[in-house]
Amino acid sequence: MRILVLNWRDLRHPAAGGAEVYTEQVLRRWVAAGHQVTLFAAAVAGRPATEIVDGYRIVRAGSRFTVYREARRWWQRWGRGRFDVVVDETNTVPFLAHEWVDDGTPTIALVHQTCEDIWPHHVPPLAAQLGRHVLEPWWLRRLGGAPILAVSDSTREALTRFGARDVTVVPEGYEPPAALPVVAKEEQPTVVFCGRMVSYKRPGDVVRAVELSRREIPGLRLWMIGGGPLLNRLRERAPAGVEFLGRVDEGVKHDRMARAHVHVATSVREGWGLVVTEAAALGTPTIAYDVPGLRDSARAAGGIVVPPRPEALARWLCELLPGLRRQPGEGVPYGGARPWDEVADTLLAAVQRHARVPGAAAPLAPAA
Amino acid sequence: MKISFVVPTKNSARTLDACLASLRAQTHAAVEVLVVDNGSTDGTVRIAGRHADQVLQWGPERSAQRNHGTERSTGDVVVFIDSDMVLEPHVAAQIVERFTAEPDTGALIIPERSFGEGFLARCREMEKLLYVGDAAVESPRAYRRELIERIGGWNEDLTAAEDWDLADRTRAVATVGRVPAWIWHDEGRIRLRATFAKKRYYGRWIDQYVRMHADSSGSKFARTALLRRPARLLRHPVLTAGLATLKLTEAAGLAIGIRDSRTTAGARTP
Repeated sequence: MRILVLNWRDLRHPAAGGAEVYTEQVLRRWVAAGHQVTLFAAAVAGRPATEIVDGYRIVRAGSRFTVYREARRWWQRWGRGRFDVVVDETNTVPFLAHEWVDDGTPTIALVHQTCEDIWPHHVPPLAAQLGRHVLEPWWLRRLGGAPILAVSDSTREALTRFGARDVTVVPEGYEPPAALPVVAKEEQPTVVFCGRMVSYKRPGDVVRAVELSRREIPGLRLWMIGGGPLLNRLRERAPAGVEFLGRVDEGVKHDRMARAHVHVATSVREGWGLVVTEAAALGTPTIAYDVPGLRDSARAAGGIVVPPRPEALARWLCELLPGLRRQPGEGVPYGGARPWDEVADTLLAAVQRHARVPGAAAPLAPAA
Repeated sequence: MKISFVVPTKNSARTLDACLASLRAQTHAAVEVLVVDNGSTDGTVRIAGRHADQVLQWGPERSAQRNHGTERSTGDVVVFIDSDMVLEPHVAAQIVERFTAEPDTGALIIPERSFGEGFLARCREMEKLLYVGDAAVESPRAYRRELIERIGGWNEDLTAAEDWDLADRTRAVATVGRVPAWIWHDEGRIRLRATFAKKRYYGRWIDQYVRMHADSSGSKFARTALLRRPARLLRHPVLTAGLATLKLTEAAGLAIGIRDSRTTAGARTP
């Protein structure tokens, strides 16, 4: 099959994230299975406009704002008639391929997460209101006309709220490190946080929760793993027992995550919350805020969710840590996610089954 | 000692999963969960099926649902939890501990604090913290089975203030204790219009409640706890202003609700 995937970034982009890892893992397996795959993404400084990576072709044009228009132009000039399916991978802004793919090729959207309450964390206040209450609902309402694949129940729920009718949940993938660190749990009660030090991950909440918990568990210790703009400010004001490691390599990260008794996650919202999956695979259970995304990965990994307040996180830490120290968690296979081979197969099957020629009648009768 | 959690629901899908998961995650082992639904049309029944030992259908109102749950439950202790509450893991263990240590205590209060989205939820959060320890507002949630059966369960004639009514009848015949662990009450996003409508609906039952408890009802509406420690309010002037707006909206809703009930009552008995 000839597959065109539209995504705002590819894995070589300096700001590539979880969605790009997902895309890359899946695409190279599709190629290995004999499909012809093209990925259209924004230009990356120092990278050619076209290159072959892991067997699939990457075409790059446009910036983070113009990549959507460039994708459409590229389709009109070069793409039309050359593909069997178009996958519109949406990171807040959809390509809306179903509105301009006009040669009878079926399209389908793939959504990792909606932005909603994260808007204020990324853009200035007024723009955030505009984005959250005007732009995103408008984009998602239009996207709702296409069939959509979502990576979690939370994302499906959000899309349904914006009027999407044909949403199918596909699994999230995770490959545990080849060599799982063989380490014993720490003597001292230890909490680990792992994520970028940016406001929407709420690292300050973690520090506050541990500070509160230390009233009941005086020896409690916190490892903060990850770099980011908030790092220095948080480090300067860190209370006793909190150690900021900054950005560390994967080996150190896995080692620390495996040695801690409990992992905490406090994001505002995620698509899936892969860090929970990672911790579970390393044998460390998570206490996560009960928010979209973290809820899904915590449930899959057998973790606990708590009201999104530092005081609540502190209460649960105090109540659960003694038990976790007596009986440390065991590694969960794939941390509750699925191996990439399975994800690639399931996703391809879902694409084949649900992709639809734009304008054709939906398989499910739309409500009135 | 076996604990039965009885959870009445009606279109509670938004909060139910977190609620039931917290009941299932209790550190005390002997726990039973009963969901008594009243004709939900959202995902409530499906979510309940994932966690509960029994999912029942009953109506017409919350009190009747809770009584039906009590009847069908098998525990030594019945705990009434609402579908928008999340329990800390030790609540059940502490209930067992209290009832074992204090054989004379018939019912237990579980202190509550709230959380939610947005500014008004923050105001509500502050309000709930001011009520902690105030007997006029806090109602027991955990009952020894023989006690709840002896006092005849929830009053099915009341749909609002039914918790105060039960608390009054409980305090008349038994000692009420409390546990240290908390219940976290999910307020979601509080909207003034919805708050007004809800209070207006509740307001219709107020006259009836006052008729039944003429002696003690005054203290419940006064909510003196809010003013007892003004320092706590003054420390957060913005939240206090928000809270004042919220309370005024509620008061207006109740007042109109009471008027509604008197108009209908007047129409019925000319």
